[in-house]
Amino acid sequence: MSLLWPTRIGRLAPQFLGSAGLLVLWMGALATPAVAQTSEEPAVTIGMTNTLSFTKDTVRVEVGETVRWENSSVIVHTVTADSEEATMEESMRLPEGAAPFHSGNLAPDETFEYTFETPGRYRYFCVPHEAAMRATVIVEPAGKG
Amino acid sequence: MIRTSLPTRFLPFFSNASQRNEGRRLRTGLLVVAAAVLAVLLANTTQAQDKNMKKMLMQLQEMNQADGYLEAHRDVENPPELLGGPLSFAVEQNSGGVLVGLPDQRELDSDVFGTPEMPLAFTGTPGVTGVPVPFREVENGQFTQLDRPTPFGNKSTAMPSGSMMLKAQDVTATDAATTEDQVKFKASWEDKQGNTYAVRCCEMLSAAGPEFPTFGGVVTNHLLHGFSGVGTPLMPTEYTYAAFWGMGAVLKNGEVVDKPRVVHGMLTEYVRTEGYELASDSEVTPTRKHFHLMVAPFMPVKGEHKFEHNNVSTGFQLPNGKELPFWHVMFENLNIESQRGE
Ligand SMILES: [Cu+2]
Repeated sequence: MSLLWPTRIGRLAPQFLGSAGLLVLWMGALATPAVAQTSEEPAVTIGMTNTLSFTKDTVRVEVGETVRWENSSVIVHTVTADSEEATMEESMRLPEGAAPFHSGNLAPDETFEYTFETPGRYRYFCVPHEAAMRATVIVEPAGKG
Repeated sequence: MIRTSLPTRFLPFFSNASQRNEGRRLRTGLLVVAAAVLAVLLANTTQAQDKNMKKMLMQLQEMNQADGYLEAHRDVENPPELLGGPLSFAVEQNSGGVLVGLPDQRELDSDVFGTPEMPLAFTGTPGVTGVPVPFREVENGQFTQLDRPTPFGNKSTAMPSGSMMLKAQDVTATDAATTEDQVKFKASWEDKQGNTYAVRCCEMLSAAGPEFPTFGGVVTNHLLHGFSGVGTPLMPTEYTYAAFWGMGAVLKNGEVVDKPRVVHGMLTEYVRTEGYELASDSEVTPTRKHFHLMVAPFMPVKGEHKFEHNNVSTGFQLPNGKELPFWHVMFENLNIESQRGE
């Protein structure tokens, strides 16, 4: 079962178990936490740095694949493609029909995953560093590779 | 010894390379008589140059543009209140890191500094309110950058575990002899080794600025820096939601390492660009905010309306082994609250 919605995963085990437990409740399923935790390996991992950048400027994935962002810095960052959060037109862009996403604040060492279901070009940014910190994910139709 | 003829307070920021080279030249000259004669001549020229530079810097301090304005305000005993009444606000960062400015040579924006033919922003204490023209590098008829490092530039480093809390009230509108403004401020962050650095303020607010207006110590909704004439032009012109100036303390691992120090904090529009470079005026981002803490390497001169150079004891060692002589720290994960009234 793949996670079709954004997840914020702390490195700390209790936090992780907490979010997995919530997930189970939310689904109303009797599945064990192990099921909720099963997530596809991310197709690509992108770091977030002390110099206010995403480590990969542009990445390409296929529909259904997951991208993982890792806050490898000491600064709080976000991964955001949501017009509610943007203050500058150039900081984000979503393909037609794609849902917005926003990680919320990611403390140092926290990660965020998002599985892309709509092909196209996604431009995203970090909320507090919107003026400096932006990058792109290009999602191609499945089965191309 | 030539260098000492220019007191340190007239060597703003840090010593520059040309002065070190002159010292080396003099030592070599002592080896032979001919060279010694040359060295004496050289020393005389340098001494004359230093004397001229000292004179020029004193003149620049004396012709500070805010002097008249401040003179009219600094003895006012019953200063007026803000239009619409007092403003209270709180700015907090609870966790995450900070970005710490490192010494760098500031690129000079022609909107703020003019051109070599028509220079702007050169009066006042160098670095505090102006930048003397001889300190500016020139290329193709334009100012390019400052010839020496200051706290205002493109270089920075991230440090973990940053938190800050500012609770303040802006009541008094103008500079005056007394103020009703209030500030409670504390901030701290760590280095990789786990040392904690902190700044606290304010035991006293700057009711009137020595060289530029401080509006009772707290100012809200005002333009600062750049061409504004309020604070150093080495920062870009920036809309400032709130700022304060007061006397506080610098701490390392819980111990006071420098006190009293002028502490300046401000919540402004976002003035950094890609790579965390310091924006020029045209690169400012009006829709984002960040908070700047500044403990500058300057102290007011007692009884005189000017500043002198004075390095801050931060206890933080730079990669070159020297102590960072100021704190310029940015907080960018903020919770902000404000309201009219006390
Ligand atoms: Cu960021």
